[in-house]
Amino acid sequence: MAGRKKQKPEIRKLWDEDPKEIPFKKSRKRAVVLNTIIFFGFAVILLRLVDLMILSHEKLSERAEQQYIREKVLEPQRGVIWDRQMREMATNVEADSLYGVPSKMKDTRNLSRDLAPLVHVSSKQLNMRLLKKKRKDFIWIDRKMDMETARDIRMLLDKLGYGALGLVPESRRFYPKGRTASHILGFTDIDNKGIAGIELMYNEYLKGEVRNVSIGTDARGNRLSSDIKDAVSGNNLLLTIDEGIQYIVERELSNAMTEWKSKAAVAVMMDPGTGEILAMANMPAYNPNHAGKSRDYARRNRAITDLYEPGSTLKTVLAAAALEEEVVELDEEFDVSKGYIVVGGKAIRDVHPHEVITFQEVIQKSSNVGAVQIGLKLGEEKYYSYLRSFGFGEKTGIDFPGEVRGILRQIKDWSGTSLAALSIGQEIGVTPLQLLRAYAAIANDGVLMKPYIVSDIISPQGDVVKRVAPKRERRVVSVDTAETVRDILKMVVEEGGTAQRAYIRGNLVAGKTGTAQIFDPETGRYSRDKYVSSFVGFVPADNPRIALIVVVYEAEGSAYGGVVAAPVFKKIIEDTFAYLDIPMERDENRIILVSKPR
Amino acid sequence: MHLNIRDTRSIVISVMILAGIGTLMVYSSTALMSMRSNGSGFYYLGKHLFTVCVGAIVMVTLSKADYQKFRPLVYVLLAVSLILLVLVFMPGIGISANGARRWLRLWPTTFQPSELVKVVMVIFLADYMDKNIQRMREFRYGIMIPVGVMLVFQAIIILQPDFGAVMSLGILTAGLLILGGARLSHIGALLLLSLPAVYVLIMSSPYRAKRFMCFLDPWKEPFGCGFQLVQSFIAFGSGNIFGLGLGGSKQKLYFLPEAHTDFIFSLIGEELGLAGALLVLGIFVWLFIKGVQVSTRTKDPFSYFLTLGLTMMIGVQAVINFAVSTGLMPTKGLPLPFISYGGSALLINMASVGILINISTRNEKRAMESGAYADNLLRRSPYMKRRK
Repeated sequence: MAGRKKQKPEIRKLWDEDPKEIPFKKSRKRAVVLNTIIFFGFAVILLRLVDLMILSHEKLSERAEQQYIREKVLEPQRGVIWDRQMREMATNVEADSLYGVPSKMKDTRNLSRDLAPLVHVSSKQLNMRLLKKKRKDFIWIDRKMDMETARDIRMLLDKLGYGALGLVPESRRFYPKGRTASHILGFTDIDNKGIAGIELMYNEYLKGEVRNVSIGTDARGNRLSSDIKDAVSGNNLLLTIDEGIQYIVERELSNAMTEWKSKAAVAVMMDPGTGEILAMANMPAYNPNHAGKSRDYARRNRAITDLYEPGSTLKTVLAAAALEEEVVELDEEFDVSKGYIVVGGKAIRDVHPHEVITFQEVIQKSSNVGAVQIGLKLGEEKYYSYLRSFGFGEKTGIDFPGEVRGILRQIKDWSGTSLAALSIGQEIGVTPLQLLRAYAAIANDGVLMKPYIVSDIISPQGDVVKRVAPKRERRVVSVDTAETVRDILKMVVEEGGTAQRAYIRGNLVAGKTGTAQIFDPETGRYSRDKYVSSFVGFVPADNPRIALIVVVYEAEGSAYGGVVAAPVFKKIIEDTFAYLDIPMERDENRIILVSKPR
Repeated sequence: MHLNIRDTRSIVISVMILAGIGTLMVYSSTALMSMRSNGSGFYYLGKHLFTVCVGAIVMVTLSKADYQKFRPLVYVLLAVSLILLVLVFMPGIGISANGARRWLRLWPTTFQPSELVKVVMVIFLADYMDKNIQRMREFRYGIMIPVGVMLVFQAIIILQPDFGAVMSLGILTAGLLILGGARLSHIGALLLLSLPAVYVLIMSSPYRAKRFMCFLDPWKEPFGCGFQLVQSFIAFGSGNIFGLGLGGSKQKLYFLPEAHTDFIFSLIGEELGLAGALLVLGIFVWLFIKGVQVSTRTKDPFSYFLTLGLTMMIGVQAVINFAVSTGLMPTKGLPLPFISYGGSALLINMASVGILINISTRNEKRAMESGAYADNLLRRSPYMKRRK
């Protein structure tokens, strides 16, 4: 202030000297004020910087971290399913999925119009969906699209821009063999979760481990961190199925379906010594790559989930029980010349009349009257316990979902006709697999095995996580009895037997035909024209390595198992032998093996 | 002499450092973006370096020739910038981006005439106020004519629309008129009168109104309109004292919009910390002081007004930019002088510095010739001293 006062006279002087100086001088004062304001501005900025950068540092940098680090769920690769020779039956492919960001969409009408044809919905529906989810930041529009659609979508997106729509690659389950083994493999849902077949049964092993990771990303979601571990892939499965045999079986079933215009057909092939399922086929079949488009009817694995009355094929169990219990002699004669037998007020008839026949011939010719006589000799208690022992009325324990137990009533629930009915394979519900297992026990010198489909669980690194060993359930009959029954079954395909059409030169087939009327639950009686025709047996008869059952449902033209199912059996076995390169000579029938991998 | 030479040198060095930091930060902020969209990380850097080089040539050229001789050209400049402003609206020549028409197609780059208008306005006012220095107190000369010229420019610019340029032009004109000796009451009344106009301008456009509301509370909609400001805060906050290191910014990963242009200061804060931010702030303060010092040594009102006008133009722009990026002022597209990516502003600012250097060196020369440079402090000019 003192300085200013001193200067005052100076200004006066200037005023006098040069009037132009006055505003100029005043301007300098004003400049000082203005400059001070600007300096003040700089100072405020400085304070603000300290506030933001030091005082709020913690809060703000935490927020930076939050938006920079993104929690992401890494989806694992589902395990691969191989057949017994490590051919891929189920694997994964990358497929594009289309997502939308409805909150960023401006014109949903036009967008829907452009997009709808590509994602196979009507433009109206799509528009409704987009409008409904208007506030959402993420919705799936179409997932795991095929390559053509993805390409078209990509072209559309190039035109529309990527803001409101985007594509992400996802892993899609792929079944390279299409329909082959479809019932065994099952399928997955859109999220790669197994919902049928092996995919369902072994989902826990196959699915792998989801990994939640924190990834540094830019604002557009691009991944910046590179050292992210991938999710843990699922374990791989090695099946006991042989794709080649499976194919043969399916082809022959399909041919039989066409030939006999049947409703359905089932065939299961098993290694009687181990219980390994070599093939399990169902007709009609479906393509698991498009499981959603198939009908329920086509997806049934009847071998395990459906019951039928085995009819004559059950007589083998009766024969084995009778022999084991020594209630009959091999050459014991049965008089069946009447053609019928009355039990509990009901007559049971033979299809073809016979005279007096031996015990063996009762089985060979499948005489109902003879079988009933054998059953009566054996008695309820014993027959029931053998049926139980052979595994009827209980689950086989196969590693497959949806298995049914079958129907075998307890003796106390039996009627007066039950023993007779059971002797000819009625009043009992079995699955094809149950019956096959019982025959396999005969083939396996009287030891019942547990069937299985998955032999090894192999980690992504190739280590064996779990190896399934063949499981012996119990001995059902003695070795001798089993051998005797095998000899009887050999006769079935020979001269005078019911299944000469299953005869194979060289490797003797042992087996039994079955023809059962379908029990119609609506009318409460057996249908007159609907039959289940079956043939079940094993080869080579003396040293069985393959047990096979063929069941044809509701064949037209003929109902006899020997006519409908036996030829299918024969064709499958012949082709399987050719496929396995097994010479078809009787002398060498001991070498027949189904090769194991590795 | 010693001090004077240091003035010129200080200005040159300050600008060089700022341009250097700017180039680094432009590269740091655009490398990734450029890599993604252009395939090379150097696309923006290349363009920026090109502008810096052109700017340097313009700066050197303008610092050589006697600025007094070009004084009559001011009306030509006025006419040219007016034409250029109008040309922006011509299809084919003008380029629109983000809903605004602000740029002219100028091979190989673009040009923003509103940036030129600022410096032309300063030159015009310096010339005008020098000629009318005795009449500045009168309403007609002090307010009507200069404000009229300003309004013409503003009217065109608001149509582009470039609200930021309108505001800075207004602040600059008001500042210069205050310096020129216009009555404070006139200017005060004018500012009061303009307040409703500003209000109407802001509220007439929902986008500006929204921006303003978001400026008041950016955290209310951190993912909506407050996004940019919140991201800017996050950038500063992440920086702390020494920053995340050059190139270490996370906010440039598409989080902070305009990270290489208007919000480059936030990125400096994030990567170089408070230390780096204060360095930049300090250099601007230093440059400002030097400009003011040069003005105190000028001999005639024209040079004086011109120097102060240019200095304030740079200083005010810097302050506004800082204030915007730290959330002290509402967002408007003003680049940080010498640092932000953006050709026109960089070019114009370097040209302005060229004129500043020109004035400074001429003062030094004259001072040496007259021998009156013994005591040239802020509060006294050589002019005053010689008079004494």
